[in-house]
Order: sequence, then C-alpha cells, then structure tokens
Amino acid sequence: MTLFIQLVLVGIISGAVYALIALGYTMVYGIIELINFAHGDIFMMGTFITITIFGAFHITDNPPFGMPIVLAMIVAFVASTVLCALLGVVIERIAYRPLRNAPRLAPLISAIGVSLVLEDIGKLWKGLSPISPPQIFNTVLYIDKISISVTDIIVVVTAALLMVALQWMVNSTRIGRAMRAVAQDREAAALMGVNVDRVISFTFLVGAGLAGAAGFIFLLKFPTTTFTIGFQLGLIAFTAAVLGGIGNLVGAMLGGLLIGLVGSLVNLIPNSDDAAVRGFGIPHGGGAWSLAIIFAILILILVFRPSGLLGQQTPEKV
Amino acid sequence: MAVPINTSNRLFLPARDTRMLLIKWVVALLVPVVVFNFVWQGDALINNVILGFINPGSSQVANGQLVEAVVFIFIFYLTLLALSGYLMAADSGRRGMIEIWVDILIFTVLPILLISATSNLIIGLALCGILWPIYFILRKRIPFLSFLNPQSLPAPESLRLVDSEQRAVMLGRARAGGFWFGSALAIVWLVVDLIFYFSGSLPGELLLVTAIRTVLFPVGGYFLGLLGGTLAVRRTIAANNNGNNGGASSRKKQKEEQILATSRAREEIREEVPNDLPLRSAGARNFFLILLMAFVIFYPVIDPFLFGYGTAGRLSGYNDAGYYVILALGLNIVVGFAGLLDLGYVAFFAIGAYAWGIFGSTQLGFISPIHIPLNFLSGLFWPMLLVTALIAAGFGVLLGAPTLRLRGDYLAIVTLGFGEIVPVVFLNLDNLTNGTNGIVGVHSPAFFGIQWSQVTPIPYYYLILALIGLTIFANIRLRDSRLGRAWIAIREDEIAAASSGVNLVRTKLFAFGAGAFFSGLAGAYYSAKLGGVSPSTFGFGDSVIYLAMVVIGGLGSIPGVIVGAITVYSINLFILNSLDSLASDPTNFLYGFNQIIVSYIPGFTFGNIRNLVFGIILIIIMIFRPEGLIPSARRRRELRRSPDLELLELGAMDVTTTDPGFEAEVRIE
Repeated sequence: MTLFIQLVLVGIISGAVYALIALGYTMVYGIIELINFAHGDIFMMGTFITITIFGAFHITDNPPFGMPIVLAMIVAFVASTVLCALLGVVIERIAYRPLRNAPRLAPLISAIGVSLVLEDIGKLWKGLSPISPPQIFNTVLYIDKISISVTDIIVVVTAALLMVALQWMVNSTRIGRAMRAVAQDREAAALMGVNVDRVISFTFLVGAGLAGAAGFIFLLKFPTTTFTIGFQLGLIAFTAAVLGGIGNLVGAMLGGLLIGLVGSLVNLIPNSDDAAVRGFGIPHGGGAWSLAIIFAILILILVFRPSGLLGQQTPEKV
Repeated sequence: MAVPINTSNRLFLPARDTRMLLIKWVVALLVPVVVFNFVWQGDALINNVILGFINPGSSQVANGQLVEAVVFIFIFYLTLLALSGYLMAADSGRRGMIEIWVDILIFTVLPILLISATSNLIIGLALCGILWPIYFILRKRIPFLSFLNPQSLPAPESLRLVDSEQRAVMLGRARAGGFWFGSALAIVWLVVDLIFYFSGSLPGELLLVTAIRTVLFPVGGYFLGLLGGTLAVRRTIAANNNGNNGGASSRKKQKEEQILATSRAREEIREEVPNDLPLRSAGARNFFLILLMAFVIFYPVIDPFLFGYGTAGRLSGYNDAGYYVILALGLNIVVGFAGLLDLGYVAFFAIGAYAWGIFGSTQLGFISPIHIPLNFLSGLFWPMLLVTALIAAGFGVLLGAPTLRLRGDYLAIVTLGFGEIVPVVFLNLDNLTNGTNGIVGVHSPAFFGIQWSQVTPIPYYYLILALIGLTIFANIRLRDSRLGRAWIAIREDEIAAASSGVNLVRTKLFAFGAGAFFSGLAGAYYSAKLGGVSPSTFGFGDSVIYLAMVVIGGLGSIPGVIVGAITVYSINLFILNSLDSLASDPTNFLYGFNQIIVSYIPGFTFGNIRNLVFGIILIIIMIFRPEGLIPSARRRRELRRSPDLELLELGAMDVTTTDPGFEAEVRIE
C-alpha cells in the first residue's frame, strides 16, 4: 500500500510536467490544427537553458538555502520560460507561417524537420551523454513511510499556478478571447478585426513558454536530461493531450495527470522472470513496458473515442 | 524539326551554318570524352587491353576482364559516334552554342569528376543531385545567368513538315557530324599517343594500332553518324511525297513512320519535348531506359575497370542503398499515393527482418519444437521472402484497421506510437527475440543449392536488383490501377472520394498492407544480408529518414522517390562520414575549418549534425519546393495551382453568406 501511494505521488508529479507540455500541444492544435512535433524539443531546450543558468550561478548539489539559490532559481525559471517562448515564435515564423495555406501534410513534415534541427542543436550544445543538474532542496519529509521532498511540493504548486493563470488568460482576457475566436473560425475572426497572425504567434509564445517552464520544473525533480528527452516526453505529453481531448485545456491537464499516474503505476506489474511471483506478470516487469503501454493507450483512445475524455466530437466540414 | 537554311551538302568544307553546328556539337561531345578519359585513364587501359591482344602476357589488365573491357569500350564509342550524328541532324538551333556547352559541363563533366573524386557511383550522383538543383535555382534567380534557361516558345501553329530535300540536308549534317567528331577524337588520341611514344611510355607496336584507329574513327564516324541521322529523321514528319509506294511491307513501314511522326508532333505541340531537346523525346527516353538497365545489370562486370579496386565494398554499399530504395518505394505507396502520413514505417521493416531472423537461424529451434535441417534452411529463404512480406503486410493491415477513422495528423501519431512499440516489444520479449543481444547467425540464402557467402556481394546485388525491379513494377501497376486511382482520390479529398463510391476502409487497408509488404521484403533481405538482427537498429530516426527520402524525391513520384532514396542514403551514410574523415586529415582545408568549429562547439562532427541537415532540408523543401526533386506530373499541377484555388475559395465564401444551407457538414464514420 505504501508503494502504491508512493507511486501515485510520483505519478502526480510527473503528470504535472506532462500536463504543462500537453497544454502547448493542445493550444497549437486547437488554433491551427497542427501537431507541433517540435514542442517536445522546445521543452528539451528549456531543460538545457535551466542547466546552463544553474552552471552560471555555480550551484552545486545540496546548496545552503540563501539568496544565491533563490536568485538562481528565479533567473533560471524566467530565462527558460522567456527564451523558449521566443524560440516558439521564431519557429512559427520560419517554418509554419509560410505553409499556412499549404496541404495538410506540409506543415506536419516541416514540424518534423524543426524537431530534428532542435534535437541536433541540443546534441551539439550539451553532447550525447545525459547531463545532471545539481540537486536542490532534497530535504525529504516522511509521512508514515511515504517520502515527499520539498521539491515535489514546489513542482506541483508551480505547475498548478501556471495552469490556473493560463485558464484565466484564455477565459477572461481580450487576447484569450481572440485566441478562442481564431480557434473557432479563422476567417470569421479575421473579418471581425482579429489579427490572426498575431494571435497565432501569441499562442506559440504561450505554449512554448509553458514548455520552457516545464523544462525548469522537470529538472527540479528528475535527475538527468539529454537531447532526446524532448522527443520521448513530447510523445507522452501528446498522448496526454489526446487523452484529455485535443484542443481542450482542462482536458490536457487531466490527461497529463492520468498519463503520469499510468506511467508510474505500471511499475506495480511484476517481472514474470522473477521467481517470487510464479509466472505472473510480463517479462522485465511493467517499468520496461511503460512507453509501449502509454502508446497502446493512445491508440485505444484514438480508436474508441478520438475526441478524448473532455473534447467534443467535431464534425468535418466539406 | 530543323529547317535547314543552306542546302549545301559538302563533307569537307561545309557551309557556314553547318560549320557552326559542327563546332557546337563536336566540342560539346569531345569535352566530356576527354575529361572522362583523363580522370579514368582510359587511354592507358585501352592500350593495355590492345597490347594484351598483340602480345599476350604483357598486359597489366587481368585476363578475365580483358574481353569485357573491350566490349564496354567498343559499345561506348560506337554509341558516341552515332549520337553525334543524331544530335547534328536533330538540332534546331533554338539552344545556342554556349548554353549547350554549359549544359554539357554541368550534366556530364561534373558527374564524371564527382564520381571519380568519390570513387563511388551513387555518392557522386547523389552529390550531383544536390548540385543540380542549386544550378537550376542560380540560373533562375541570377539575371546574368538567365540566358541559360530554356526558353519556352509558343507552340508551333502547325506541324512542320520536312520534305525530301531537307531530309537530305539533315542526313548530310549527320554524316558531317559523325565524321568530324570521329576525326577530332582520333586526332586528340593521336597527339596523346605520340607524346607518350616520344616520352617513352608507349610501346612501339602500339603505333600501328594508333594509325589504324586514326583512319578508322573518321570512317566509322561517317557511317555511324549517318545511322544516328537516320534515326533522327525517322522522327520527323514527312511531307507527302507523291506516294508511289510499292508493296505491303513498305506501306506498313510508312504507317509506322507516320505513327512515330504523329506522336513526336503531339509531344512538340504540347511543348512536352521542345525541339531543342531531342534527347528528351519519348523514343529517346526508352532508349535511355534500356541503356540504364543494361548498365545496371552489367555493373558488377563494369565496376572493376571503371574504378580499379574496392569493388566488393562498393557493391555492398549499393546493396544497402538498394533496400532503402525498396523501403522508400513502399512508404511512397502509403504517404505519396494514399496521403496517409506513416511515421512508424520502420516497424514493418523490423517485423520483416525479425521474421527471417527468427526463422532463418537456430532461434526457431529454441522457441518451438520445429527443427529444420540447416542445409535445407537457406533454400527456404525464397518462399520465406514472400511469407515474411505477407507477415509484414498482415501487421500493416492490423495497424491500419483501427486507425481508419483517424484524420491525417492523428494517424501520423498512431503510426509513430506503433513504430515505438514494436522495437520495445522486440527488446523485451527475450525468449522470442533474444532481447538486447538480437539474433546472430541468420542464414544467407542459397540458390540451387549454392550457399551465398556473406562477403561476396554480387549475388545480393542481383537479388536486390530483382527485388527493386519487382517493387518498381508493382508500384507502377498499382498506381495506374483502379486501386491506385482510388488512393489518389482519397489523398485529394477523402469526403469527395467516399461520396463517389470509393470504399475508404478497403482502400486504406490496401495502402497500409501494400506499403508494409515491401518493407517486409526489404527486412528479410536485410537480415539475410547482414546475418543478424538487433533491436537497436530500428528507431524513429529511421522512419524519419525514409520519410525524408520520399519527401525530398517527390511525394507520389516513382523515379523521384528512387532518386530521393539514393540521395538521402548517400548523404546519411557516406557524405557526412567522409566529411568527418576529411576533416580529421591535417592536409585538407576542411581540417582548419573543423578546428574552428570544434573550438566553439566541442564534440562537433559532421556525423552528429545528420538530423540537423535533414531537418533543414525538409523545412526548405516544404516551403520552397513541396513537390520534391522530381515531382509526379499530377502533384506538380496540384501544388502549382494553389493561387487560383485561393481565388476560387474566396468566391465560394461569398456564396456561403447569401445561402445558409450551402455549407453541408458530413460526419465521417
């Protein structure tokens, strides 16, 4: 039981990261119906920027709590968010905007191209091998044998704050209304005086900024990052977005949490080679299969409920 | 065709216009031949071969290659002489001297130099595949070079007829072309041989051969040029020459000529084949195809005296390129024809590779009670090739079935997920696939009881050639079939296709099945050639490489995809790696360049930026040339029409505002 609760906690924390990335996918998809393959790699860039700034502040493992560490964290968070947001806008401007009216396949292939480019830039920047950030706030609190660290709390709280802020922005501000209008009907929104290009740029700005923030948060909790992490996490986050109903912000958050829980709870499936369980389970245990299981979920959702948990069925226009 | 100005028909002192034509074509043909001989050192080789005939034992060429080399060279020069006659007769003067010369430099001399510099045929050609588009862009964009562009003249108002007098002039020009080209070639060789003779490196007995050749070339050129000219004249449209024709055979011949002439005229009128590009007519295309096939079939024989050494390694590389071609053609069915973006195509390749890997090794004995005698196993490769492909096709249908209701981009993600799941499954199912270690000791095929060795690439070369031939044939037949038209219809507009009676479910399943079938074929070949399978060789990166092949070559275009596959394969596996080895060589200029980069970016290698290169190419192609290097005709029309489409759609929107029932919504199930 302790293991179960512990895994649920891990699931919630990774789910928060997935949800932040999934929001970017879902926003971009909602507004221009493009799967932004490069989104996961923007997240990867966020983790790299964060590591670089920690390095610049000479942060080491388990630093004493004080002004430098707080300052470093604030700078890293802001820099990661802002730089990734700008990166998102630049990518949109270079690779997607010229293809606004092209056949559907064209921007998708262009997005794959951007993803490859970012991955290799990451590879050139930080090398092939995984790199580790300094571990900060490792103080572990025990509640009845279940361990929670201070970092976990920071992670969940920051993610929750960001999501609430995004909800508020989309629902209650002028630009949020413009975003919803463009998502609903681009031509009509343009006729009503919405600057469609600027709104799309802004969407990329916000989505990529969230990915940058997720990169920062991810590094607080998880010990390593590498240039391929964007691709893997991006796929998982995309699954989360589809699970919640793509185009739906609350759905993305919910999907992120669910996928985080699934990815963590599959570790409960025992290894069939283990003598103790007498053949029950799957080879190598559930953990080795978590990616396969998540993608299997993705395929099942798309087959049985393509609109996701919270999305609504959209009829296709002729 | 040509409208001769001057009817003078002299061979030795031709009239001025013929003289200009002679200069144009003799230089144009002579330059690549001389360059070819220079880089290839064909002179020395031919001399060796002849010396071997005169004086057996003194030749430096291995005896086995002697006859082959002579045959190759003989055919090569005969073709060239006939070609000179053809070109002289077919020239209409619309493409000027300088333009032809630049074209010759770019399209023949450049490949010759690149192939000899890389000493690999497909790498050299792949480099050309990169440089030629750059040349096209340059001559289109830079005003100074704009004269090099082929001018598109208005279509002729009526068919141009060539009467018997003009034919005689054309034939005369052809004769002169062959004669003068032969003479020029003979003189160049004579001079070279004399220089070598006086510097002492040419044996005296060869001087006799040189003398014979010097006489033989102009004479041969005269007759072969006439032959080429006759071929050119056959494709013109004869004026009605007061038909006093005799028997049935001549009437039949006349009819044939008439058909030929009309087809040619039709091409001309539609501007498919401008007058000044005689080498692009339908007849010429068939001829080139036959020539290309002959070259490909005899390549293992030609290779040793083309490059000298390293044939086995080179052929092995071509074999690898070969299965990439099959993979790209298979993916082209799914993405190019049916428009279903498949990002997990590597999964079917892996399934095919593992199918023969498990069956063709001792692994089958471990996982099942079936024990096939080993000497029997290799012969089973042939039926298993089909079975493997069918297994892969089965998985293709299996994956296709649940994803049918998905739209393009969802489909991409599902296939991507599938492509990620399959290697994980192969990695983790230890007792079936031997896990991380993969399967080793996979048997190579046997043909009529002769076991193929894994180190001799020639049997594999013919196997992959046969498989590619099969794949191309199947692709063409599929494209032109009812099913292929249905694929294209659903690519263009799914809803419209469904309403016109296309069965979406069946059509898409067939696309998936057919695509997976060919990757299964490639997979079986891969594991048989390599002798093993490892789960780490199949990843998303490979799927992207296959996609890049199809996109760069041209979605839906069969020749484009083949060229794309070879280009991407060369960039991926050869060019970047050889840049690395050049950069590590201190004598090369790349070394310093590399040092500068490494001082800023530690750990930089050209192999490391592979994805960067492909990513940028994908983006650029999508933005500037979405139809690919060699687009299919349909695709080009479709993509170039888009500005008009915009207007059309605006018009349609105007209608919508006045008519509320205009916008129908259809739910796709």
